[in-house]
Amino acid sequence: MLVRRLFLSAGLFLSLTFLFPAPVHADADMTQAKDVVAKLSKQAIEVMTSKGVPDADRVERFRGLFISSVDLPTISRFVLGRHWKTASPEQQQDFMKLFEDMLVYTWAVRFKEANDQIVVLVNGTKPDGDQGVIVDSSIVRQGQDPVPVLWRMRLTEGTFRILDLLIEGTSMIVTYREEYASVINQNGGDVNALLDVLRKKTVAMAQQQNAGQAKAN
Amino acid sequence: MAAAMVAGCAEAPPASDPEARAEYERANDPMEPWNRNVYNFNDSLDKAIIKPAAERYRDFVPDMVREHLRDFLNNLRAPVIFVNDVLQADPDKAYATLGRFIINTGFGIGGIIDIAAKDIPRHDNDLGETLGIWGVGEGPYLVLPLLGPSNPRDAFGVGVEAYADPVDRVPSNMGYYYVSYVRGVLVGVNRRTDNLDNLDEIERTSVDPYSTVRSLYRQYRQSLIEGKPVLEKPRPGYVGEFPKTMELSKGDN
Repeated sequence: MLVRRLFLSAGLFLSLTFLFPAPVHADADMTQAKDVVAKLSKQAIEVMTSKGVPDADRVERFRGLFISSVDLPTISRFVLGRHWKTASPEQQQDFMKLFEDMLVYTWAVRFKEANDQIVVLVNGTKPDGDQGVIVDSSIVRQGQDPVPVLWRMRLTEGTFRILDLLIEGTSMIVTYREEYASVINQNGGDVNALLDVLRKKTVAMAQQQNAGQAKAN
Repeated sequence: MAAAMVAGCAEAPPASDPEARAEYERANDPMEPWNRNVYNFNDSLDKAIIKPAAERYRDFVPDMVREHLRDFLNNLRAPVIFVNDVLQADPDKAYATLGRFIINTGFGIGGIIDIAAKDIPRHDNDLGETLGIWGVGEGPYLVLPLLGPSNPRDAFGVGVEAYADPVDRVPSNMGYYYVSYVRGVLVGVNRRTDNLDNLDEIERTSVDPYSTVRSLYRQYRQSLIEGKPVLEKPRPGYVGEFPKTMELSKGDN
């Protein structure tokens, strides 16, 4: 009798788990998401402020770190929005590459200037839909009010990756989407126009970065 | 005039292209060509006069002096913040603003020292936010000459506040008109100095700063009205709830 009940409940349990894939909100998942944020911000600051490393290497190491922790394919599709569908596969590839450069040069400098003066503190986590977690953090700089930053994380291929950053109520990916849509629309819906300005901008940012480094050394 | 208004309007995509239409409505900027002109005007003025002034102010005026001027200007804003706290039926915030004003005006020597900050953190508030909380929509995006990103709701709020603020009104009624102009210039320089790094970052990374600023402004205002960041940030106004910077940095991630 007891054995039968045990089997029954086990069967019920199994069928339930198959019917409803486990949401990612187990404590372990929350902790993992938190660790990704803590590790990324710590390593990024380390990579960008370490001494005696050639500048080009520094940015490339940061890029590696960045790519492994950010869900770039999903973000790229969201940011290009309705123009993703009309873009050719080559344009999509070009955009992803240029957008990656854009993010890398944008954040490499921010982490570099952060120095040791900055601490990213993870305050807590909360569920975000079925497959997501929001990590709540504060960026604390010497002598300034802490800035609240929310990291939207999503489980892809077994690890949590960053989907969006919300800084003082503004979403990074929404802002990019509106900026790029505006450029495309100003040019009569031509995605190539956006690719051109992004190409120019990222080249300029890379040069700026190198010039800044040369001055610092 | 009518022709100028028509010329200032962007052409909406046809209803046959629903996705383009949705994108157009999301931007909420039917007067974009006109707004871009005002933006460019502001930008030229900024590059020629305002930004250099803010940079000199940051580089040549000692930190301590700037800090106390900021505290003083913030304290002068307290009556307006208080009225908005009350209009939003938020007794905790209203109480915090009132307490800060009394403590800082008295013990902080007319507000030049924000002596209350360590117990009662400052929060800002304005009539645009109050109207938003009351359910007034933002209306189309608007770039104001000198003042920058706005919308009819927020611009109306700024106008009413400029007229009704006792700190401007009382001296004006006594004939000291220059008081509000001097205050306006000081507030402007102070605000621009605070935003030097942020705006430089936008300039460095954006391929269309106009739409980046538009997006950031609209999202930020909306989040204030929805109260989202306030929920995430320890809510200002509760004594002792806001963690001190030093306490925070003790934590181990």
